[in-house]
Amino acid sequence: MSTLSPGQWQEISPYLDHALSLSEEERGVWLQSFRLEKPELAEVLQQLLEEHRVLADEHFLERMPIRVASGLSMLDQKIGAYSLISLIGQGGMGSVWLAERSDGRFERRVAVKFLRFAMTSGVGAERFKREGKILGQLTHPHIAELMDAGVTPNGEAYLVLEYVEGLPIDQYCDQQKLDVDARIRLFLDVVSAVAHAHANLIVHRDIKPSNVMVRSDGQVKLLDFGIAKLLAEDTNPAATLLTVEGRAAMTPQFAAPEQVTGESITTATDVYALGVVLYLLLTGQHPAGHRLHSAAELVKAVIESEPPHPSDATASAEAKELAEKRASTPEKLRRQLRGDLNTIVGKTLKKIPAERYGSATALADDLRRYLKHEPISARPDTLTYRAAKFARRNRTVVILTATAILLVIGSLSAGLYVANRERRIAERRFAEVRQLSNKFIALDNDIRGLPGSTQVRMRIVTDSLQYLNSLSRGAPIDQDLALEIAYAYVRVAHAQGDPTSPNLGQFADAEASLNNAARFVDPILAKDPQNQRALFITTTIAHDRINLADTRGDRVEELRDAREAASLVERFMSTRPVAVNDLYSMRYFYVNIAGAFYTGREFDKVIRYSQRALDIALPGSRANDLRGAILANLAAAQWQSGDFDGALKTARESIEFQQAEAAGGHASLRINLANAYDLEGMILGRQDAEPSLGRTREALADFQKALDIAEDLANKDSADYLGRHNIAVFGLEVGNILRHKDPKKAREVYEHSLARIREAKPNASTQRDEAELLAGSSYALRWLGRENDAKQFLDRALELLHAAQRYPADKVEPMSDTYDALRGQADDYAETGQTAKAVGAYQQLLDKIVAWGPDPRNDLRDATCISRTWTALADLLRRARRPEEAGRLEAQRTDLWNHWNGKLRNAQALLRQSLSQVASRKAFLGVSQH
Amino acid sequence: MGSTSSLSTLIEAAERGDLSAADALFSVLYSELHGIAKRELARQGVPVSLGATTLLHQAYIEMAEREGISFPDRARFMGYAARVMRGLIIDHARRRQAQKRGGQFELTSAETEFERAPIDRDLSRISEALDELAKTEPPLAELVDLKFFCGLTFAEIASLRDISERTVQRQWEKARIYLHRSVRTNLEI
Repeated sequence: MSTLSPGQWQEISPYLDHALSLSEEERGVWLQSFRLEKPELAEVLQQLLEEHRVLADEHFLERMPIRVASGLSMLDQKIGAYSLISLIGQGGMGSVWLAERSDGRFERRVAVKFLRFAMTSGVGAERFKREGKILGQLTHPHIAELMDAGVTPNGEAYLVLEYVEGLPIDQYCDQQKLDVDARIRLFLDVVSAVAHAHANLIVHRDIKPSNVMVRSDGQVKLLDFGIAKLLAEDTNPAATLLTVEGRAAMTPQFAAPEQVTGESITTATDVYALGVVLYLLLTGQHPAGHRLHSAAELVKAVIESEPPHPSDATASAEAKELAEKRASTPEKLRRQLRGDLNTIVGKTLKKIPAERYGSATALADDLRRYLKHEPISARPDTLTYRAAKFARRNRTVVILTATAILLVIGSLSAGLYVANRERRIAERRFAEVRQLSNKFIALDNDIRGLPGSTQVRMRIVTDSLQYLNSLSRGAPIDQDLALEIAYAYVRVAHAQGDPTSPNLGQFADAEASLNNAARFVDPILAKDPQNQRALFITTTIAHDRINLADTRGDRVEELRDAREAASLVERFMSTRPVAVNDLYSMRYFYVNIAGAFYTGREFDKVIRYSQRALDIALPGSRANDLRGAILANLAAAQWQSGDFDGALKTARESIEFQQAEAAGGHASLRINLANAYDLEGMILGRQDAEPSLGRTREALADFQKALDIAEDLANKDSADYLGRHNIAVFGLEVGNILRHKDPKKAREVYEHSLARIREAKPNASTQRDEAELLAGSSYALRWLGRENDAKQFLDRALELLHAAQRYPADKVEPMSDTYDALRGQADDYAETGQTAKAVGAYQQLLDKIVAWGPDPRNDLRDATCISRTWTALADLLRRARRPEEAGRLEAQRTDLWNHWNGKLRNAQALLRQSLSQVASRKAFLGVSQH
Repeated sequence: MGSTSSLSTLIEAAERGDLSAADALFSVLYSELHGIAKRELARQGVPVSLGATTLLHQAYIEMAEREGISFPDRARFMGYAARVMRGLIIDHARRRQAQKRGGQFELTSAETEFERAPIDRDLSRISEALDELAKTEPPLAELVDLKFFCGLTFAEIASLRDISERTVQRQWEKARIYLHRSVRTNLEI
């Protein structure tokens, strides 16, 4: 009987169908005619039909297989000299059975560990063999003994191990109500087992209470060397692959920092895990606490958080119960743990392996000294040491990067390893790599708010994207994978340059990533307009483009994107059901859409979309999410419409909400708070700019608060662009106010801000920031008598604006970076006695503003800007003895403010502000001329 | 990307070829079927005989109640659950053979005893052959799961799939020939 290939089977399948549908008699007739048509096929068909007859007679497969005839059972085949009794446990790797010696020579029970069917090839089998090999090297009273190993006639690999009937060590101690000293004595047996393994160059890597069993006679046994590592074996490629598997298999709660991060595993790794077990035995608590919800939190806790001293960890709600289980009282237990035990446990749990006990034996020695009331070798942490540890936290960034890369690379190499093997395994790898990549994308979302994480996020997302992309090649990709890739691109764009959260400032790259995302998602949305996930991604892309356009200073594009995003948000909201997180995103998108319309001077739309944002109902505790940011937009719109008092009130309300939100330390929310302080400052008294309440002293305090937040975020993240940009923005405000009172101090602020913005990788936005700071600083320099430096600063500012493609320009937006630099230059001419040049410069500036198309009769900013320019120019014209022209400008100005007088009750005050700006400069001129 | 996918989304994803969803689906169904069997055991206090068909139907009713309107249709559920049952039964057969004394729940066919049951290694070969068959003719493979591993009658399968009993029988005969070929051939190698 020969095998049928899938092709043959497919060919014959329809004929078989037909033949089977016929009666015995009909079949014979049909087969004869078929034989004439396709003799070869008919031959095979006839064989199959004969087979069918036999099978029917045999009742082949007709009854369920469950009652298996006992005569053929595995029992008779024996597992070595043992027969199986019952299943003890079953896991991913296989099953463990209780068995007993069947030849009656010994009354001994054993555990037989089988490798699961699916695991009989590849890494699983490799790992299994290693466990046998490792255990074969170890003979120790506290290590469960390997008695036999082999392969059944069915080809199943098995290990025969010493059977340990008992309880995990923590449960045993609690059940027996062992006191602290008894717990330590028992724990010392575990340490000696680990020390024995270490002496044989074996690291267990998975020490945890469930692998440390205590028999009813009090004997401790260390079990499960399933992922143990032979230290001598590092160069073996199979071992490397196994390490990747081993890393995935470890138990995260008991993993040492180096296990989480993928740094090298040594005996110190086991010392750490022993420390966790000891901590647990002494305090009943896990050192990282028990409220670890996400992968990111766990990673963070393991590599960053210092656990509380054991003596402090017992102060929980169950303190009394915990103490009772240790034959103690809460107070007594605290006293017992304080001092030496705190120190010993602390030393085992050091983040850096080299700072832990050098060996399990050294740990055992100190514990024995403690029991004998002798001085221990470990030294308690000093205050300076604790402080140094705090400083080391920035290490997290490096470590997180290492983790992400190692894990992803690990999964890829595993993927390649099987690529040449069976397709089925390759498919499983495909799913795994995909899952892992998506997990990292999710991890990026988790750590986004973690100050200091920008660079890591970038690595995480680009690596993940790369793997998703590699999956998309070669095979036709399904819709879900396409959406995953699209989303990965969006996340890459965020890390590259999402202007609303810490980012790398690579805006052009971000733009390209968004386009790539669109390339994957657009066809899906075109085919299925109601696909919620696709719609979400598309909406996110539109929203992100608003912010990128804003960063480029492209107002036209920004407004177009805002309109596009607004209609997409509406469309998304019409799908059902919308998850809470997505509702939050939509509210967030509306906030930035409103912000774009604010920049575009369309204040009615600011109010409309802010209202829509508030209309998106978020449940209970999240109802007020982003309310502060929405209020900030509304306050800005009020301010620009001339309602200063109302604006101030709204801005303060906004700050209150945002203070609460930012308290959690999330980077984006803190940035929002800084922006809210900035807004309040601008309403109160921004210097040399929009109309304000003229309360510069209070404004200065607000700008300073905003600046402090930006500084803090920039300090925490050396790669973050946004923190540096914000320092430039807020530093400019602080400098602009200070320079009128204390030019020297103002210079320091400008210089510092310049230094910080120069830390970022240059792009159009940093160039614009720098230009503004240079222009602002030129006033202070000049007023300090450094006229040449001032001039150089202004030249440099214009060069930078040229590089950012903002200058030369025929049109200049009022109050923009280019306006500031050109006005700075005109003022420089004016204040250094070059009146004719100054007149020309101001005249040109005025022309460029008018060419931009301002709306001074409806837009207060435009009104103020033009009014100030007129005032300055009129003043210069008078100096140049051209009073008629000056008079005409002043008449225009009076006309403009008369118009506003009908609209605003404080128009006169604004006019005075506009005049006082010139007055203050004159006062300075007066000083320097004396 | 959510971790708490409902059964219906898992089935949909699995049908689109999402392997991780298929894995998740199997583990959900596996634990469900296991759970019911264990609960029966606990309730009765002694090893019970629980027919595979009963188990399957019970799982369907319980999960349908829990998941409400989003629950997939009965035929699709049965298809997947039957595949999981196959795995359970193969595990179980191995376990039973190894078992000397009680404690474990006992799966028993509702049908009569018979002598010529395949031994466990044949079972796993059949299972592998079924995986192969599922690639070219999924309905045939599913049919074997339902009939052989879950003990559904031709009439039940026919009504599940809305086809005639005669068609079911013909497909069954065809699948059986295929499996026999694969298993015998493999044995010879």
